[in-house]
Amino acid sequence: MAVPVSTPAERVRPVSPRHFVRLKLRVMGNNFRGQGWRIALFVVGVLVGLWFAAGGFLMFAAPGFADEPRYAVMAAAFGGGVLVLGWLLLPLVFFGVDETLDPARFALLPLSRRTLVTGLFAAALISVPVFAVLVAVAGLVVSAALLGGAVAGIVAALGVVVGVLLCVAASRAVTSAFATMLRSRRVRDLAAVLLAVVAALLGPLQLVVLAAVRSADWDRLVGVARIVGWTPFGAPWTIGLDVAEGRAWAVPVKLIITAVTIGALLLWWSRSLESAMVGAASAAPTKARRAPTGGAIAQLFPRAVGWARRDRFGALVARECRYWWRDARRRANLITIAVVGIFVPVMVNLGGAGFAGGEEGFEAAGDPSPVLLSISMLFVGVLASVTLANQFGFDGSAYAANVVAAVPGRLELRARMTAFSVYVLPMLGIVSLIISGVLGRPEWFGVAAGALLASYGVGLAINGFISVLGAYSLPETSNPFAMNGGSGIAKSMLTLLSMVGSAAAAVPMVVAAGLLGDGWLWLSLPVGAAYGLGAALLGAYLAGDVLDRRMPELLSTVTPRR
Amino acid sequence: MTGEHPALALRGLAKQFDGKVAVAGVDLAVPAGSFYGLLGPNGAGKTTTLSMAVGLLRPDHGHAWVLGHDVWGDPVEAKRLLGVMPDGVRLFDRLTGAELLAYHGLLRGMDPAVVDQRAAELLDVLALTDAGRTLVVDYSAGMKKKIGLACALLHGPRLLVLDEPFEAVDPVSAALIRDILHRYVVGGGTVVFSSHVMEVVERLCSHVAILADGTIKRVGTLAEVRGERSLEDVFVEVVGGRTATGEELAWLSR
Repeated sequence: MAVPVSTPAERVRPVSPRHFVRLKLRVMGNNFRGQGWRIALFVVGVLVGLWFAAGGFLMFAAPGFADEPRYAVMAAAFGGGVLVLGWLLLPLVFFGVDETLDPARFALLPLSRRTLVTGLFAAALISVPVFAVLVAVAGLVVSAALLGGAVAGIVAALGVVVGVLLCVAASRAVTSAFATMLRSRRVRDLAAVLLAVVAALLGPLQLVVLAAVRSADWDRLVGVARIVGWTPFGAPWTIGLDVAEGRAWAVPVKLIITAVTIGALLLWWSRSLESAMVGAASAAPTKARRAPTGGAIAQLFPRAVGWARRDRFGALVARECRYWWRDARRRANLITIAVVGIFVPVMVNLGGAGFAGGEEGFEAAGDPSPVLLSISMLFVGVLASVTLANQFGFDGSAYAANVVAAVPGRLELRARMTAFSVYVLPMLGIVSLIISGVLGRPEWFGVAAGALLASYGVGLAINGFISVLGAYSLPETSNPFAMNGGSGIAKSMLTLLSMVGSAAAAVPMVVAAGLLGDGWLWLSLPVGAAYGLGAALLGAYLAGDVLDRRMPELLSTVTPRR
Repeated sequence: MTGEHPALALRGLAKQFDGKVAVAGVDLAVPAGSFYGLLGPNGAGKTTTLSMAVGLLRPDHGHAWVLGHDVWGDPVEAKRLLGVMPDGVRLFDRLTGAELLAYHGLLRGMDPAVVDQRAAELLDVLALTDAGRTLVVDYSAGMKKKIGLACALLHGPRLLVLDEPFEAVDPVSAALIRDILHRYVVGGGTVVFSSHVMEVVERLCSHVAILADGTIKRVGTLAEVRGERSLEDVFVEVVGGRTATGEELAWLSR
């Protein structure tokens, strides 16, 4: 009876990336089971992907058909570089990463880190965006083959595959590292600052690039393209053209550059993966022992909402406020709003402007107008409000507490809007200040703030409906960028729908800015504020009714399936 | 009112998930003042039944009443009388224990002063005061159960519905929870809870119902259901489990 359960010396079969790929395919397939609408959304996603892929293909292949080697270099280096940059940044800002295979699930399996990383990497390659990018960059192969013959084509094909690997490795490494950073409470503020700095740098960088494009002739640009071709951003995409131009020696060098980069990224990823698997960062509640002050109620209400009455509405607002800061997923969204909110308007308003003076070139000359300003503000307001499109999904099954307490829908939505606004309204104010300051037109502050408030308000109203009717569950991982496999497309569609709807509803502000001239400078702020507030209240009123009727259904849609 | 109506009445509750029957028509009458155990193996439909009974999951068919108030027709009044601790549902766990209690109290429309006083008392009795500013997400499993119970008790409900209150709870916490529930029933409250731990049910309950495959197989007072045998024997017989022959899994004892 006391015979030990020994591990027999059986041959352990090695685990290859193939297993991960098959697992991912199986999970994706099971997600579709019995869910017709998911299949439909997937098909739509594939079609959209193909559409963009076809566009990219033409862009990359065109220089080959036109027999223009110089444009080919530029398309390869700049286009490819933008691709890599996009894979690096877009998951952080908009889309999140597909975490169909959550690394934490593998924590107990006897897998070496190397096996795990290569396996997850291989699984990450199985996705619609990767497929679409592959189709698009196939244009480079065509281009190289037309310019340099079959050998160049084959080398370009190799480069393109390596380039796609680079894209995926970059996106994985960056999101994973960033997630780890946000999870650790100690460095989260640092992360916010870091992002803000990056965003602050993007604006001026944009100006420099634009100025360069404007002044530089094509030869200079080709020169820049060739330099980019020697960085990891452009290296894999340009080797086919190097062969075509008779520089075969460059091929192995560039491949080594790319391979080293991919290796470094995977190494980086595997480092942060480990902490994602064991959740090391969150297990250190260092300040846990600080004695709480005051009664339970006093502890619940943060200082920023000290004005709220101690009733149901106040409790909802206070809890939401705490959550926007304490929940890594929500905090990541707030940071995104702050970053994009600053840098998009700066880009739009200064980007279109000509620059007086050659030295610093910060003085806008003419082009920015109240209309352009309103449009860019519209975008920021809409983007801020779209964060609430899945506000109940953030809560997950915890929303059950509100269902059990029979919280009226209107109260619930009003409170959620209020709590979010506690964070967003000051941000919008700062955005308006900065943008009118940067433009050197302080009198435009009202126009900016008015457009922001109006679009934010109508956005809140529309997202009130979307959050009640189109909620979906988020996986219960600590990675704020993780999404359930298969729901990604649904999410993007809903987000798009909500953004288009909100933007359309706020268009009157732009029209007014165009038609009313100077009088609008003073009217915009009160009118925009009233319009936004009215829309938000109306939205909460109407959507609250819907919420009252389908609270249990909402709860089951936001509860993650296990 | 309490005299005329059972504390919880279910009639014909049924639910399917994707064509798979989870609960196939459950009728139940829980007398006021009883300590009612809902027994069943994993996957029997206990959680589904209780979720439908408290208004968390809309039933395909059937009705539920809390002290005569229709849970699905008049949810506000029914939910006012009801305290719930669901299982497999997260709390708003990025709050501290005290914050969570304050939230639940205010959400139930209670007076802030009363909330403060009761929250302090509950945290003290449940030995959670030491947790201080630790977030509920960092609590141990037993502490989470205790704070969940505190949230359900805070507004002084007449009926307490608990899903697996003793799951993953250490003996000390379990004894504490048992004690509190016992006092609650003596004080005139009604408790309905699900479990598959026979000892706890035998020790606490005045009434039991055995649920398997989505239907009630046995129901009545503990004595009626148990008869002369142990509750475990009855349960295994009703559910129809298999007994090990010793032949299978031979490789385990190498």
